[in-house]
Amino acid sequence: MVLSKTPRYIDESRCTSCGDCAEVCPVLLPSEYDQGLTTRKATFKKYAQAIPGAFAIQKADKAPCRLACPAGLNVQGYVQMVKEGKYKEALQIIMEELPLPGVLGRICPHGCEDACRRVEVDAPVAIRDLKRLAADQFDPREIEIPCAPRREERVAIVGSGPAGLSAAYHLARRGIQSVIFEALPEPGGMLRVGIPEHRLPRKVLDQEIELIRNLGVEIRTNTPLGPDLGVDDLFDMGFKAVYLAVGAHRGIELGVPGERAQGVLQGVDFLRELNLTGKVEVGNKVAVIGGGNVAIDVARSAVRLGAAEVNIIYRRTRAEMPAWEEEIHAAEEEGVKITYLSAPQEILVRDGVVAGLRCIRMELGEPDSSGRRRPIPIPGSEYDIEIDQLIPAIGQTPDLSALEDIAGLEFTRWGTIEVDAATYATAREGVFAGGDLQTGPWVAIGAVAAGREAAESIERYLDGRDLAEGREPVRLESPVYRPIPVDEPKKPRAKMPELPAQERKTGFSEVELGYEEEIGKEEADRCLNCGYCCECFQCVEACGADAVSVETHSRMPESVELEVGAVILAPGFQPFDPSRFETYAYTSHPNVITSMEFERILSASGPTMGHLVRMSDHAEPKKIAWLQCVGSRDINRCDHGYCSSVCCMYAVKEAVIAKEHAGADLDCALFFMDMRTHGKDFERYYEAAREKHGVRFVRSRVHTLDPAEDGHSVVVKYSDEQGLFVEETFDMVVLSVGLETSEDVRELARKLDVRLSEGAFCLTDSFRPVATSREGIFACGAFQGPKDIPQSVIEASSAAAEAGALLAPARGELTREKEVPEELDIRGRRPRVGVFVCQCGINIGGVVDVPAVRDYAATLPYVEYVADNLYSCSQDTQEAMTAVIKEKDLNRIVVAACTPKTHEPLFQETLVNAGLNKYLFEMTNIRNQDSWVHKDDPESATEKAKDLVRMAVAKVALMEPLQETRLKINKRALVLGGGVSGMVSAKSLSTQGYEVCLVEKNGELGGQAVNLFRTWKGEDVKERLETLIRSVQEDPRIDVRLDTELVAVDGFVGNFKTDLRSGGKTDQVEHGIAVIATGGREWKPDEYLYGQDPRVVTHLELDRKFLEGDEAVKKARSAVFIQCVGSREEERPYCSRVCCTHSMESALHLKELNPEMDVYILYRDIRTYGERERLYRKAREAGVIFIRYGVDQKPRVSAGKDALEIEVVDHVLERPVVIRADLLALASAIVPGDTAAVSRMFKVPVNEDGFYVEAHAKLGPSEFATDGVFLCGLAHYPKPMDESVAQAQAAAGRACTLLARDSIQVSGTVAYADPTLCSSCGVCVDVCPYGAPSFVSEGPFAGKAEINPVLCKGCGLCVASCRSGAINLRGFEEGQIMSMIEEI
Amino acid sequence: MNDWQPKITTFLCHWCSYGAADLAGVSRLQYPPNFRIIRVPCSGRVSPKFILAALRHGSDGVWVSG
Repeated sequence: MVLSKTPRYIDESRCTSCGDCAEVCPVLLPSEYDQGLTTRKATFKKYAQAIPGAFAIQKADKAPCRLACPAGLNVQGYVQMVKEGKYKEALQIIMEELPLPGVLGRICPHGCEDACRRVEVDAPVAIRDLKRLAADQFDPREIEIPCAPRREERVAIVGSGPAGLSAAYHLARRGIQSVIFEALPEPGGMLRVGIPEHRLPRKVLDQEIELIRNLGVEIRTNTPLGPDLGVDDLFDMGFKAVYLAVGAHRGIELGVPGERAQGVLQGVDFLRELNLTGKVEVGNKVAVIGGGNVAIDVARSAVRLGAAEVNIIYRRTRAEMPAWEEEIHAAEEEGVKITYLSAPQEILVRDGVVAGLRCIRMELGEPDSSGRRRPIPIPGSEYDIEIDQLIPAIGQTPDLSALEDIAGLEFTRWGTIEVDAATYATAREGVFAGGDLQTGPWVAIGAVAAGREAAESIERYLDGRDLAEGREPVRLESPVYRPIPVDEPKKPRAKMPELPAQERKTGFSEVELGYEEEIGKEEADRCLNCGYCCECFQCVEACGADAVSVETHSRMPESVELEVGAVILAPGFQPFDPSRFETYAYTSHPNVITSMEFERILSASGPTMGHLVRMSDHAEPKKIAWLQCVGSRDINRCDHGYCSSVCCMYAVKEAVIAKEHAGADLDCALFFMDMRTHGKDFERYYEAAREKHGVRFVRSRVHTLDPAEDGHSVVVKYSDEQGLFVEETFDMVVLSVGLETSEDVRELARKLDVRLSEGAFCLTDSFRPVATSREGIFACGAFQGPKDIPQSVIEASSAAAEAGALLAPARGELTREKEVPEELDIRGRRPRVGVFVCQCGINIGGVVDVPAVRDYAATLPYVEYVADNLYSCSQDTQEAMTAVIKEKDLNRIVVAACTPKTHEPLFQETLVNAGLNKYLFEMTNIRNQDSWVHKDDPESATEKAKDLVRMAVAKVALMEPLQETRLKINKRALVLGGGVSGMVSAKSLSTQGYEVCLVEKNGELGGQAVNLFRTWKGEDVKERLETLIRSVQEDPRIDVRLDTELVAVDGFVGNFKTDLRSGGKTDQVEHGIAVIATGGREWKPDEYLYGQDPRVVTHLELDRKFLEGDEAVKKARSAVFIQCVGSREEERPYCSRVCCTHSMESALHLKELNPEMDVYILYRDIRTYGERERLYRKAREAGVIFIRYGVDQKPRVSAGKDALEIEVVDHVLERPVVIRADLLALASAIVPGDTAAVSRMFKVPVNEDGFYVEAHAKLGPSEFATDGVFLCGLAHYPKPMDESVAQAQAAAGRACTLLARDSIQVSGTVAYADPTLCSSCGVCVDVCPYGAPSFVSEGPFAGKAEINPVLCKGCGLCVASCRSGAINLRGFEEGQIMSMIEEI
Repeated sequence: MNDWQPKITTFLCHWCSYGAADLAGVSRLQYPPNFRIIRVPCSGRVSPKFILAALRHGSDGVWVSG
């Protein structure tokens, strides 16, 4: 299969997870982990405990602003730097491409802003003005420009406009010197002569030209190309290449009569004269023709020069005007008149001098090629105006007079030079061209980009490299960006402060004054960070471990091809997004939150550090409501007909924890339809929540949430069970959102050709619950169906078992043996301690005085060597440590660094590589538990570090090499119980290649399933069961022992010896593991006339009738089901999980058999969890009548004359109802089989209900705490067929993790007993949860305690509880801990 | 007495509280530097003798967490 791997952009192997990169990252994003309640950076770790601890950078495509910029400026990057007030860094980013930040920060037409996605929220970010702010705040001349070493070749550049300057700048950075030949007396090209000073002060331009000159660029002014200076002359002068960038400085004529008259002056000529000399002749009544920025510049200049009337004449409307809106507006403010829809027809000349202008009115017709509507003259609408100066400003064109005759150059029919689009090479070798000369009049930033590209080409040309290679333009078809947050608040774009209009007319002072710093930062903060990471590379600067660099930043997604034999899908779920329900006010009310958000609020590592407050005002709530089934069991509004299975339980848990956090007076109310606490021990928790904690449970339907008058609280409006309308106000409302399959996962399923169910969960079969519709692909967790953690973990192991079965023949093929150097024997040698103190960059070294700690360590007893490392975990330091251990003959090592929880194995490996036993090591935590938590108190932190090092040295000196016992594993398995669970487990173990002894106490296989009719998915149980039994019986690796009982069990993991008795004979079986699948049975009710009236049956009995096709059932006129018979009562306070679904199946089957039959289900809560909910809906649709009863008002059954009479108090009507029925089915509880004997023999616990207790309710549901013993099926807890099968496979899967190994190695950190001190009290035997201690059975120490190191987990419980001091714990010996205590 | 600072010996279970103390660091929570942490494999390892020894060796308090 082929995977696409997104890069981390940080080198995981070098990252020390110190977080310095995140510290400097400017991009703030909502933290997904905190459900958006807090922020994180674009450089981040998903959550603090995440493994691996390395940081990652989130990137999307390059931001649209950056893509829109002709020069590709990293806009997002410098905007973020401005936001942080890092103007120097902002300029460094800008000047990567652009040497003229202050200039372009004023005059750039900012195509980037047109691309800015902020416009979808309010208005684009004022990008250009932020660039200017950076240049205003920090002198660009002070920026250090890194340049390559200077080369010998020189390049001639003709023209000192933006293209020429940019080429010179970028050449200089490449180490190539250039001389710019400029025709005019001053450098700058159009920037100088085309733009009036009120828009671009000369000083700004001069400074930025100066910075280019500072790089060694020479500018020769008044040196035009011409007869004396041609391209050949330049080559003759020794220049190796020529760049032509003479611009487009010739104004285009109007083409109307009278253009040669006195008083007609081209706009560009007008501006050039003004800019070079400071003055130009201006008329009294001036008409300017055109609608571009030049026209506006001319008009505004004319006003400043004293013209009484300035009139711009433009042939279209304002909407089509190419000049910038702010320029047009400023011109109007300054008194310029603009006449739209008018065009000059003739210049009226009197005595050779302009006297007036004949114009014609226009109207807009069809759009032309530019997309603008074409102006059409209105016949007969001519009119004359009186003027004394006419300034056409309708466009410019390059002046080619000096170039036309140069051999080898080619020109286009638009009067521009012909070049290669990517390389800017002209037809003549060594001559390049760009800027307006090539494009015709265009934006300055375009010329800057052209100059940079020419510099690249020229360098390649000088190197003799290919000019074009790798320069094809990359076009992103559909770039992917950070989605715009739905709740992004509107923030107005900052206004540019301007010189008051009346002050402008008197001179050419700059009109736009630039942002104040604070305003600018706020403006920059409007940036949405479309690309996530802004590539400002601040993290590169900050990382001391070289884990992130420009190279890692530019990594690309990788395509990874894997050859695999099986695939397991565990993509999980996404929480339902309640934003789409307006009635829940989730988006509009801050105190309506989702359960996921509430989880974070309760968490100590969450946004409020576990302090329970509401979000609007951070007040402690007094009343909290939970609304159940948000996004579940709802086909009207969200299309999720299924029950999400987990929400009832998590809501109860949240309510209880909330009360624990806030105190008992917190009022918690759950609004629900059915309370579904069907998991193991969940019902008890629910009862305790209600009875002990006082959580209120309100059976209701909520229809709206409204804001309360105080502006913070929420009014919950609902109907109670009787249908009465009720209103209640809460401080906070938690929406118990359901689980759904995300669109991404659905897409994945489509790609993999895996079929989904109606609810978009993975479709599977009850007898192969983790196998998808495609062979070899397995699914587990919430993708397989909404479920909680225990069930997900069960399925995970089950999927592993299924995959393992496929892969069994290949087992061990790809494993490699690790080579370990021989261990030195250090016994009897004096301790020689080496202490390594880590700086962790600045993470420790920035707070703790590391050299002082190092020097202090040198004074401690037995310390022979001390060192401090910048990063102790880096590869080279590891190698250096190995060498120094050998060289200095060290035999005990202390590392004072971060936490042993993540780094102990790494350093232990270093010891092993140096030939030392890995237990001769002690790690002390001076980062997580010192420098990071005492940042403001370096002195105390240093003292603490010294203490910690002293304690570690004291302990390590007492450390001894420890042995890790190796134990051979017997690869045979014993499965106890021949029901479906036992058989599936046996089958799974056998397909993985192991021999199994399957023990069944009865005379046949099948267990309870023999009595079952159909599964909830409708599969025929009988047929499938027969197939399973046959496959078990025929399996040569399965030794089936029927009528066999367990007599005794001896031994432990890997080496069990079990006595089995059958037909009076006992024999012993040796096995490495055991799976306990002793099942359960149906409780035989003692109520509702069961056993007294043949019409009263249990579920299984009814199934049997179905199997037998009983005629009486078909003929029944009326049937009643009573739920929770024997379950959820004092005697059996657990939910039997399967009965609700079973009743639905049976009720539906009755309706199938006889649609006329009246079917009633009397229930307490309907618990058709997951997609079983569909059966409940179908039952209602089929006309099954549901009546709820309370446990305190249970139905009463009496035998009437020709029918049973069942009386029940209807909760809605609050009145007794009598139902006459021919059939009464009791949904009887499931009780465990006889677990006591097995429990004793295998030393595994059972709970008060008689079910076995697993190792961990969530994380170890299919195994016991006792190693090598596993469990599954009804013996664990009541469960339906598919879940039993999953757990049976899971138990086998877990068992295989042991069976797959020839031997197991146990930790050296284990307890040991000294029999001479033992008083045989037996406390150790009692307290150990793992059964490791036992009494020696024979020999001189018979009766004394001994500890099996194989079973010992090294917790030390027996050590602390031993009153004789006979037991000790290796690695945490009493003496070792005491030595630490003494050193505190 | 105002500048007197207690010294507190702390026994933290490797699997839970020690990890929590690490997490406090990762989260950069700041707390007084008076604690000296001894990592134990389980709070069950903490024998009453350790507590007495800590007090005898001058600790002003002992904190066992697990």
